[in-house]
This record gives sequence, C-alpha cells and structure tokens, in this order.
Amino acid sequence: MKNKELAHWAVTRGREQGARQSEAYVLNHKSFSVRIRRGEVESIEQAQEQGLGIRALVGEQMGFAYTSFLEKGPVEEAISRAIANAGKTSADRNNILPGPPSGLPELKLYDPTIVETPVEEKIRLAAAIEEAAFAADPRVIKTERATYGDTVYEVAIANSRGLDVNYKGSFCGGSVWVVAKENDDTQTGSGMDYVLNFADLKPESIGQEATEEAVAMLGAKRVSSQRVPIVMPPRVATQFLGVLAPALSGEAVQKGRSLLAGKLGKVVASDIVTLIDDGTLSQGLNSSPVDGEGVPTDRTVLIEGGRLQTYLHNTYTAAKDGIISTGNASRPSYRGTPEIGPSNLYLESGGSSQGELLQDISQGFYLLEVLGMHTANPISGDFSVGAAGLWIEKGELTYPVRGVAVAGNILKLFRGVEALGNDLRFYLGYGSPSIRFSPLTVSGE
Amino acid sequence: MYTEGELQEILAIALQGGGDYADIFTEEKVSNSVVCEDDLIERVNSGLEAGVGIRVLSGSSTAYTYTNDLSLPAVKKAAHVASKAAADGDKGVTVIDLCPRKPGTEFKILRRPEDVPIDEKVEAVIRGNKTARAVDERIVQVIVSYGDVRQRIQVANSSGALIRDERIRTRFVIHVVAQEGGVIQTGYEALGGLTGFELLTAGEPERLAEMAAKQAVLMLGAKPAPSGRMPVVMAAEAGGTMVHEACGHGLEADLVQKELSVYTDKLNKRVAAEVVTIIDDGTLANKYGSFSFDDEGTPAGRNVLIKDGVLTSYMYDRLTARQDGHPLTGNGRRQSYAYRPIPRMTNTYIAPGNTEPEEIIAQTEKGLLVKKMGGGQVNPTTGDFVFDVSEAYLIAHGKITIPVRGATLTGNGPKALEEIELVGSDLGFAIGTCGKEGQGVPVSDAQPTILIKQLIVGGTGP
Repeated sequence: MKNKELAHWAVTRGREQGARQSEAYVLNHKSFSVRIRRGEVESIEQAQEQGLGIRALVGEQMGFAYTSFLEKGPVEEAISRAIANAGKTSADRNNILPGPPSGLPELKLYDPTIVETPVEEKIRLAAAIEEAAFAADPRVIKTERATYGDTVYEVAIANSRGLDVNYKGSFCGGSVWVVAKENDDTQTGSGMDYVLNFADLKPESIGQEATEEAVAMLGAKRVSSQRVPIVMPPRVATQFLGVLAPALSGEAVQKGRSLLAGKLGKVVASDIVTLIDDGTLSQGLNSSPVDGEGVPTDRTVLIEGGRLQTYLHNTYTAAKDGIISTGNASRPSYRGTPEIGPSNLYLESGGSSQGELLQDISQGFYLLEVLGMHTANPISGDFSVGAAGLWIEKGELTYPVRGVAVAGNILKLFRGVEALGNDLRFYLGYGSPSIRFSPLTVSGE
Repeated sequence: MYTEGELQEILAIALQGGGDYADIFTEEKVSNSVVCEDDLIERVNSGLEAGVGIRVLSGSSTAYTYTNDLSLPAVKKAAHVASKAAADGDKGVTVIDLCPRKPGTEFKILRRPEDVPIDEKVEAVIRGNKTARAVDERIVQVIVSYGDVRQRIQVANSSGALIRDERIRTRFVIHVVAQEGGVIQTGYEALGGLTGFELLTAGEPERLAEMAAKQAVLMLGAKPAPSGRMPVVMAAEAGGTMVHEACGHGLEADLVQKELSVYTDKLNKRVAAEVVTIIDDGTLANKYGSFSFDDEGTPAGRNVLIKDGVLTSYMYDRLTARQDGHPLTGNGRRQSYAYRPIPRMTNTYIAPGNTEPEEIIAQTEKGLLVKKMGGGQVNPTTGDFVFDVSEAYLIAHGKITIPVRGATLTGNGPKALEEIELVGSDLGFAIGTCGKEGQGVPVSDAQPTILIKQLIVGGTGP
C-alpha cells in the first residue's frame, strides 16, 4: 500500500476501533552519504527507512503510538496502543485536529537531479570539498573528513476531519573538518552547507570556509577578563538564534517556561531587530507546504522593530489561546507527536558592511567559534560558552584569541543589538546577518 | 531476527564484491514514555521499530546500508548494495560458520517494563510532579518524564561470531522551573540505568523531585558566578561530565588514529597528575552505559585508560582495533541500526583516591565548588573543553559560602588533568546521552570530589 492509502486506511481503522478522531503520519526516506579522507573513500552509507505515527482522540484524551512496520497488522496494533494510551492521559478540550487546508503554498522542494546523479559524481563532489580546503592554504595539514550526503523523503498526513495531504522533497549537503598547523600550534575549522538543489552545492566555498576558520585561529593568545563589544558573523549569530527559538514557542509561553511570556506587543529586542519565521521561504531548507499536522505553513513576523508580535503555534496551543495556528507543528520523525518549532527562522539584514560594524570599537571580540552552545539554558536565557575568535582593536580585526568564555543572557543580548550587517546567510534552518552587540563579559586570565 | 542459515547467506552476499569482513546488526526496539507537564498527563506514547544494518569492511573503508524493511529479499538486496559499494574485486573471503557466544556479563532485571502496568508508571510521574510543586510557591512549572526501552539486538559477522543481547533501560527525568520577579531559574535531576522499573524504588521519584525543586528555588537567590581563573572543587555528586569531555573523547581510537586527538602518541606517557586513574567500564552493574555485548558483538570490557597519571589504553571499535592490531575493548557502539558503530565511552570515571571530601573543601582557601554539572563539549584536537555548571557555591577560607549561577567552566584537557591536586574517597555518578557524529548513546560518568588547581570560570560577576 502506498503511504497515502495507508495513512487513510489507518485513520478509518482508528475510528472503527473506537477513537473519536484519529490522525496518521507516514514518513519514508532514502538517504545516501559518503565520507572522504585524503582523497580515499572512508565510508559509503545508503539507507531506506519508513514509519507511521498515530494519534487517537478518545473523548478529549489524546494517545500516541508508532511503528516502523508499514503493514496492516502492526499498524492495527499501533492504533490499539494509541487508543489505550489515550485512556491514561488527562482530558483537555484543546486536543483537536486541524481540518483540511483550503490552499497550500506552491513550493519546489524536490530536485530529481539528486536521485539521478551517479554515486561516482557524488564521491567526486566530496573529494572536491577536501581539495578546496587544502588548496586554500598550505598550513592545512589534514582533514578529519569531507562529506557529501543527500535525502529524498515523502510525507503523508491524514486525519478523520478529512485532512489528506502528502508531499515529497529532497536536500543535499557537504561538509569538511580541517586541521591547520603552524609551528607548534594546531587549530581546527569546519565548513558546511545544505541546499535543496544539487546545482547550488558549491564544494569550493565549503572547503574554503573551513580553512579560513582554522587558519585564522593559528597562534591564538589568551586575554584577561573584561567587558567588550561583541561582533558575530552569521554562522555564530545563528547559533544564538537557536537559543532564543524555544522562547518563541506558544507552548513554552503557556507553560511558564519562556522568558518571552507576557511580553506580547512589548519591546523585547533592539529597535532594529526584525525576526521572521517563514515555512514558505523559497529554497529554505525547512520549507514545506504543511507543518507536522497538515496545517499550511506561513510567513510569520515574530519581532518587528524590536516589538514582539506573536508566538509560534500548533493547533493545540492556538486553540488554547483562541487563535489560529501559525503552522509551526514540528515533527522531525514519525516517532513523536507534533510539537512546536521554527521552520526557517531569520533576522532581517541591516545595511552595514563588515567595516562599518567594526568601526569605533576600540577593544572588542569577533567570535568565530563557540563551544558548548547546547548548555545554554533556553528557559532562563542564561548562556556561558567557550569562545574563540579575533580580537578587535581600533576597528580592525587583529590577533586570534581562544580559551575564554563569553557569558550573558539571551534576551539582554538581543536588546543590545547595535548594528546589523548586509550579509544574511542561512545555516540549516536559521538565518542571520553579521551582528554587533553591546558589551558582554569575556572571562579569561 | 534471522536464523543462522539466513545470516550466513546474507553475509556471503555482502562479501561478494570484495570486502574482507562483514557484519549484520538487527535491532528491535519497544519504547514507552509518560510525560506530565502543567499538572496534566500530557503524553503517553509507545512505539515499536526494527531495522537491519549491514556493514562491509574493505581495508580501512566501510560500506554501510540499512533498512527497516525486514523481509529477507529486502535485506539481501541491502547486502548486495553494501557489497557493491565496497567493491574492489572478490578477495575470496568466506564466512566462517556462525557460533553463538555467551555473554561474560549479565545484568539482573527485577521488573521488566512490559510487566509493569502503565498505571504504575503514570503514578510515579504524578508523585514526582506533586512533590516538586509542594516545595515552594515560586515553582511555576514542573515537567516529569518517564521512559523505558527494550532493545533486542542480534549481531552476526563473517568471523563466525553470533550474539544476541537484550538491553532494558529505564530513566526518570524531572525539570523544575521557578520564577521570582523577572528571574527564571531551573532545576534538573535525572536517574537512569540498564535496569527495569526497580529503578524507581519507593520514595525515589519524590527524592529526585525535591532535589530538582530545591535547586531551582536556590538558584533564584544565587548571585552571578564570578569570571576569571580560579581553583575549582568538583563534588562527587556533580557527576563526571568533566572527565568525559577533558579526556574521554580524546581517548577514542578513531580520533587518535587520525591524529586528531591531543592524546595522540601519548601511550605509556604521563598525561595526568599521579593521583589520577581513569577507567571506562561497560560491565558495571546496571549503570546507564552498561551492556553485555557492544553493538558489534564484542563483550563489554573494563578498560583502565589512565593509571596513576600514565596513559594505558585507548577505546576501540572493530575498525580501529584492526588498524592498530589491538584487541577489541568493547567500545563499538551505535545509536541504532541506522548508524555504523564507532568508538564510544560506556561508564567513564576517575577512580576514588584517599582524601576525605570535607578535607578537600577545607584545604581550599578561595575557589568555586561545583555541586552539579550539566552538559559539555570538547574540541578533541586542541583539547579545549567546556562544561556547564548548574549548581555552584563560592568557597572562602575552606568554607562553603554563597550559591552562584550561570557559569560554564573552560579548560584544556591535558592541562586540567595535570592540575588535579586532590582526589576524594567518594564517587558519584550522573547519566547522559553522549553525542558524537550525530549519534546519541546512553552513558554514565563519575568522579570523586576533586580539586583542580585552576579553570576559567565564565560567569558575569566579579
């Protein structure tokens, strides 16, 4: 049975087994990846995976179960489990399923070239990334690995309210980790890019980016503890955006674990900050016609001119607030229920060049790498991360610095945005231009 | 799971293209979870998944395919794809007759999750929730989650090994959010093991809930942590994130062989203070990182990594052991059938020493006492590491003074190990999911109370 038919069948069986409402989510994907080291293939992986998740509503109670066996027997069993599980959860009148969408955004998510390209060419592409890294600077002495990978996937969602959608997509990407050495000093750098179209993958720029990062850090010094202005390129700024993202979730707000709770319509960031989530973004890695429960995706302005406009919602949290879902039910796998997450979340560009961002800074820190970003506390917003980068003196980038920590609070950080670059760039689902921030504590000697 | 005859046939197909070794990893995983938040039982989820991964080694290169279509034709096709990817001409390697192996370490599971009624699991979660909420009125949110997993694996390889293993893991995690004015702070406790429902003996959910709740409330009144270099005492109950990051990852043989570890070429050399002995032990009774066989079918091992400050062994999987001509150490692990095995830690700890823990604090003139650690990260090539501190106090004149919050500690692996000055006689474990190359595996880490001469404390205070 095809995914679409199976989803439909599971929904019907859910009703027949006694669920008031039911929903089936079927995902299957095929993946390929290759790793190169010193021009030789270190590994090749090929995969095929599938699964179905079922939500069952009994009264106002919601239960969930999943299975990787896409056959009628095991799916029937999953349905029974979901119904039994529902009986153990608390009743909640906001447990509802979305109705059929009235119109879907037109998106080009599938690139047939990814499937048609022969394996040999994909291997050559990974090798080209590694070559580009070596070619960019003679101080690059080795790579840990250079990779190419791609995935083709199909999603089918159906529910008992008549929702019945399915779509297909693909993406591909490459990465490299390099080591540069000079005298007795060893430093590392990495480059990575993921895109929807095979033709947009540029091995040279991935290799060069890794090398630039590693080489820039050679001969790094330590500095003493001080408070200085901070400048971040898009790659680092997007990681901080990742710490802010959970606070934008309507669920986190409703449950008192968001630092943005109660701040709707209020100033939460510097007045030059505009933050957008756009699931319909052309070439967006996380773009899709519908979210994880079949609601059409949208472009949502979250912060405009520093003022908080809305939170991200799925059907449940929207019902609780008496509003419409923003189409942000996230569901990375068939193994879980739809939660809330951003799609393509980005800060709008400003007009400053890099030179303009750095000018007037007498002493400052240009962050190239952070360590332990995942230890930031998304609930309190407190972060303290290991950092490496270039020291700024009199508006110029000077010597590299490592072995220090940078600490602060994510909300205060975004209130302190002083200038935005004109270089918006996406890393996976997050996008940002370069940003200049007001001073933060740098802990060192 | 497949019969010996079927496995033999699949392995033969996998080797057709010219591999010199092949293995098949079959996995079936049943999981259940219960989540309470907002005073509601929000989620009761259960799942069943299964899949097969086929690996072919040819010299130092690996071909790996996986599928969760378990039908014999689909698995044979996957073996064929792996065989083609590894192709460099049939080397005539034949499959040795499969011979089932018995485990050297077995673990007692007293209450298998499938024998425990779901109501009892829900009840444990509710008890945790109630206890935490009763601790203080400033507690605004409590999230309690319970999870159990029963993973059955079968590994067969062309060298003739055939093993079956069943791992039952249970975990209980509680997050508490406290708020006062504009300040939000959190508390966290996690307990888990290669164990059944007996993990949650009477009073255990309540004990964990109270600890997490008290931590969140305590941190509301904490001052910002200081910034700068200072002596650090790490209490045993803080767990072993530091040892995991500062040296564990750097002793995994894949990084060492690629000369990407700061510990490359350091075998039999002094890499830590003489008081430091570090062990990785997958055989420890019912710990979160324990198992009978690793994910390549190698029996779990107890490996002394650093003895009295001298590096004695790295941690190997099959591929790296082949390359070094080293015996297998039982560290070949993977997240699931969807990943190939790589060298990973199991339960990693600094062995206890002779100093009384109280004595260590008493000897510290000025410094930071770390009572609870969070996650961490390391750059194994430079040795630079960070780890998060979720509960800490200042030490002045040998006494514990005020609580401080919001700090990450930064150091360099070999330097930090060299600067461990005192090692306590106690030992405390913490559990975690360790991430490497996108794969998460359950681990535990431990250490006694230790004094490190200096680390950089990354707070915002003076």
